[in-house]
Amino acid sequence: MMIFWEIFRMAIHALGVNRLRSVLTLLGVIIGVTSVITIISALEGLTQSIRTEIDRLGPTTFIVSKWGIITSEEGFWEALKRKPMKFEYVKAIEEGCDDCELVSARVRDEMEVKYRNKKISRCFVAGATSEIIDIVDFEVGQGRFHSHEEDVTRRRVAFIGTGIQDELYPFVDPIGKTIKIAGMKYEITGIAKKRGSSFGNNMDNFVMIPFSTYVKDFGTPQNSLDILVKARTLEVMDQAMDQTRVILRAYRHVPYDKEDDFAILTADSIMAALNDITKYLRLGLVGVSSISLIVGGIIIMNIMMVSVTERTREIGIRKSIGARQKDILWQFLFESLVLSLGGGLIGIAAGVILGKVLIGLINMNMSPSLYAIVLGLIISSGVGLFFGIYPAMKAARLQPVKALSFE
Amino acid sequence: MPLIETKNIWKTYDMGSIQVHALRGVTISIEKGDYVAIMGPSGSGKSTLMNLIGCLDTPSQGEYFFAGKKVSRMEDDELAVIRNKEIGFVFQTFNLMPRSTALHNVELPLIYNGTPRIEREAKAKKALEVVDLTDRMTHRPNELSGGQRQRVAIARALVNEPSLILADEPTGNLDSKTGLEIMQLFSDLHGNGNTIIIVTHEADIASYADRILHIRDGRIEKDQRVTQEDRIANGTTLQ
Repeated sequence: MMIFWEIFRMAIHALGVNRLRSVLTLLGVIIGVTSVITIISALEGLTQSIRTEIDRLGPTTFIVSKWGIITSEEGFWEALKRKPMKFEYVKAIEEGCDDCELVSARVRDEMEVKYRNKKISRCFVAGATSEIIDIVDFEVGQGRFHSHEEDVTRRRVAFIGTGIQDELYPFVDPIGKTIKIAGMKYEITGIAKKRGSSFGNNMDNFVMIPFSTYVKDFGTPQNSLDILVKARTLEVMDQAMDQTRVILRAYRHVPYDKEDDFAILTADSIMAALNDITKYLRLGLVGVSSISLIVGGIIIMNIMMVSVTERTREIGIRKSIGARQKDILWQFLFESLVLSLGGGLIGIAAGVILGKVLIGLINMNMSPSLYAIVLGLIISSGVGLFFGIYPAMKAARLQPVKALSFE
Repeated sequence: MPLIETKNIWKTYDMGSIQVHALRGVTISIEKGDYVAIMGPSGSGKSTLMNLIGCLDTPSQGEYFFAGKKVSRMEDDELAVIRNKEIGFVFQTFNLMPRSTALHNVELPLIYNGTPRIEREAKAKKALEVVDLTDRMTHRPNELSGGQRQRVAIARALVNEPSLILADEPTGNLDSKTGLEIMQLFSDLHGNGNTIIIVTHEADIASYADRILHIRDGRIEKDQRVTQEDRIANGTTLQ
């Protein structure tokens, strides 16, 4: 053990002697590790914030949609041909699914909203049944959400996000005021709590109105009707989904030997699909950034080869006074390991900071990932070992007589 | 049991199409406490013989016993242990670590056999005391004179208390006055019971030894006991 420490000190000493060369060699690994860690931590941060976004759906909620997650052009055409979702399914699920607690229908579109002389030309307007407030993660900040009665009687009431409040009602209390949606006048009954933004989208720019009112004023949209279901508990989530599936297959007359012509999405399945879609992108990014790491490794190897040749005589002297092959091997291996790990540590720090900056540019919060740090350490020591072993073995196997007579 | 015993050793180098026999059947025996010079002109095979005796190389044929151990067929790492424990080398070009202090240079053989730090420093300081360099311990080789460098090298050779001190032209890079001092040091070491082998091509250096092995064309030509007359003839004076 002690001899390792001594040999390690020799390695540090040798690196210190060639300071400029060591720093330049370090640079290669620093650049390599920095780029890999930047990419990885940026991707991590991205995944994290998508995760938080999707988790808003809640662990017991699922969405029944005509569309599902489309990953190919054929998939898109295939989904387009499917029958639209119908409002009657809501009642069917409510009655037929024992493990479903709440069921809601939602339609949505972009429309112009106006208050006096201020307007937002493309605003996200959704029509939903009153249950949605208890299914999806948003809360009432002021006032109230529309009631079941207001829905069935098709009242023109609206519930708005704080983004709408900020834009259209900067100096007045919007509750009780009107809002014009595509020319129709609605009365504002409530304001949602601020949700913040994600991916540069303000999550508070929305207007929500009763489902039936939406259908009356804007018609039944063919493609955008989603059914949101909340299972009673997490334990019965799978049963709730199965029951819903059976009901929908019956209502949509799907033959027993055909696949579902609708999709059931959960936070987990959305996340999984997203990971799947971005898998190759991530692999590609990491792959490209790894090239610089390999270049860093080759620089180390090259320098170590030069170093071994330069120090052939030194190796001869060490062998003549009793250094064994492994003593010489470790000395040179330590040198390349110190170079690569040193570069790795600096690269990790730089990569984490750069990753944060990158993610910060698209306005997301990100915590430094332990995974990226550990990975950086493993990668850089791996590079040191892999590219250092050959020169070190070359040094260790030098014959003492030949090494001593080397000029 | 002799310290060194070679039986008909050959060393052959393959130079492509031709084979060069550097040693052609050398049989020698050196006792513990001997002071031997191996002398011969350049190309005689004396360096090859020194490398074999010093366990830096192995013979192509023949057997070599060091303190009764057959070393002629040992692996590199086994030889390294012998070199570390049993042999102290002194080279013509000193062969010190240029960036390390005198003390660290002397400590180096102890590092490779795992001697603990405190013991190591004490031993190294003691070895530097023997060569009278206690005031130069923290100096690097480039801050020392040729004679001082060679004395650091001798201290390094002594530090493991080896069975054999093997010096290859130890005065070759020194002026004659400094060379004389170094030879005096070897004689003192011999007087303290060390076994010394000096490889040289100079008759006056060789005559400091008690015995001279003359080597020519890879063979021992003459095994000579050195008399006081020889020393006077060579102008070799000892205190």
